[in-house]
Amino acid sequence: MPKSVLIVDDSASVRQVVTIALRGAGYDVIAAVDGQDALKKLTGQRIHLIISDVNMPNMDGITFVQEVKKLPAYKFTPIIMLTTESQEDKKRQAQAAGAKAWVTKPFQPPQMLAAVAKLVQP
Amino acid sequence: MAEPIQLLLVLVLGGVLGYGFASARARRAVRARQVSAAAPAPDTPAHLHLITDLATKVAPVWSAQIDSSRAQMETAVSGLAEQFGGIVSNLDEVLASSAVVLDDGDGGAFERSRKRLGDVVGTLDDTLAVKRRASQELHTLLGLNEELKRMAAEVTGIAGQTHLLALNASIEAARVGAAGAAFGVVASEVRQLADRSLGISERMETKVTGIAEAIESVLTAAQESAEREDHAVAQANDEVQGVLEDLLSVVSTVRDSSAQLENAAVGIRAEINEAIVNLQFQDRVGQVLQHLRDNIDRLPELIARTREAEPGGASLDAEALLKALAEDYTMHEERQAHHSGAVARVRESEITFF
Repeated sequence: MPKSVLIVDDSASVRQVVTIALRGAGYDVIAAVDGQDALKKLTGQRIHLIISDVNMPNMDGITFVQEVKKLPAYKFTPIIMLTTESQEDKKRQAQAAGAKAWVTKPFQPPQMLAAVAKLVQP
Repeated sequence: MAEPIQLLLVLVLGGVLGYGFASARARRAVRARQVSAAAPAPDTPAHLHLITDLATKVAPVWSAQIDSSRAQMETAVSGLAEQFGGIVSNLDEVLASSAVVLDDGDGGAFERSRKRLGDVVGTLDDTLAVKRRASQELHTLLGLNEELKRMAAEVTGIAGQTHLLALNASIEAARVGAAGAAFGVVASEVRQLADRSLGISERMETKVTGIAEAIESVLTAAQESAEREDHAVAQANDEVQGVLEDLLSVVSTVRDSSAQLENAAVGIRAEINEAIVNLQFQDRVGQVLQHLRDNIDRLPELIARTREAEPGGASLDAEALLKALAEDYTMHEERQAHHSGAVARVRESEITFF
C-alpha cells in the first residue's frame, strides 16, 4: 500500500512537478490548491505526509500547518514547507507551527525524495 | 532531451507572453479600469496632472497584461507539466514491463524453458533406461530358458535309459517264466512311464525352443527399437540444445536492448529531474509578476493620496512604492535584482530539517 502525500500549492505547475517526482518513487499523491482546500481533503482519507507552500491565497501555509496540528488524526503527520520564501522569520514561524522541514524552490527531485523518505517510508 | 524540453518551455513562454499582449480579456480589463479611473482635479499641477493621466490610463494596462500573461503562463506550463507527467508515467510502465518479461522472479523465461525442455529429454532418457533394463531381463530369461532346455534334454536321457532298463527287466521277467510274470507287469508299466516321460520331455524341449525363439525375436526387436530410440533421443537432445541456443540468443538480444533501455532511462531520469527544476520557473516568474502588478496597482492610489494630502504638491513618494514592492518580495533573486538592477541568478534549493 503506497503512502499518501498531500501537496498544497496555488501553482498548478508546482503541484504537477511534485506529483511527477513523488509518483515516480511510488507515492500516492493528492493535490490541493490552498490551505482551505487541503483541510477539506484531509478528512475522509489517510495522508502520511504533507508538502505545503507558504504564500497562498485564502489560507497561507503557516496558518494551514497550525490548523492541521489541531486535528487529532494529523497531529503527528510530518509537514514539509516548499516555498520561494527566503525570510528567516517565516522559517521560524513554520518551525514553531510544527513543520518538520523547509525546502526552497526550485527543488531538486532527488533532494525532495530524500527529505520525504526521511520523514515517511514509501 | 533536456534541450528540446527547454526549447519547448521557451517557445511556450514566448507564445504566452506574445499572445498576452493581444488578449481580448486584457483589453476588457483595461477598459474597465480606465472607466473607473478618476480624472485629475482642475487645480492639480501640470506635472501631477500628467502623472495622474499616466497612472490612471497606463498602469491598468500594465496590470491587465501582467495578469493575462500570468494566467496564460500558468495554464500553459501546468498543461505542459501534466503532459510531461504522462510521458514519465508511460516511460515507467514500459521499463517495468521490460523488467518483468526478462526476470519474473523465477529465473526468467529462458531458465524456465531450459528446465522444462531438460525435463522432457530426461523423461525420454528414463524411458530408454527402463527399456534397457527390460532387455537385460530378457537376456536373463533366455539364459534360464537354455538351462531349462538342458534340463529337458537330461530328462529325455533319463527317460531313454529308464525305457531301456524296463525293457531289460521285461526280458528278464519273461525268461524267469511264471515266477517273473508280476515283475514283467511292473517292468512294462515302468517302460510305459518312461515312454510318457520321454514324450513329455521332448515336448518340453520343443516348447523351450519355441520360447527361446520368441524371446530372441522380442530381444532383437527391443534392441532395434532401443537403437532407434537412442538415436531419436540424441536427435531430440540436439534439437533441444539448438532451440535453447536460439532462445538464448533471442533472450540475450532482448536483455541487451533492455540494458540499453535501462541506461537510456537513467539518462532520461536525470533530464526529467532537470526539467522538473526548470518547470518551476513559472511559479517564480508568476510571483515576481504578481508583486509587480500589485505595485503598479498602488501607483494610482499613491497619486490620489498625494493629491489629497497636498493639493498643490509637487512630488510623488517613489520610495513608498519601492518600499511596498520590497516588502512583497519572497525570493532572494527579487531582492538582489531590486538593489543591483542586474539579473539575479536563481539559488540552488536548500533543505532545513527542524
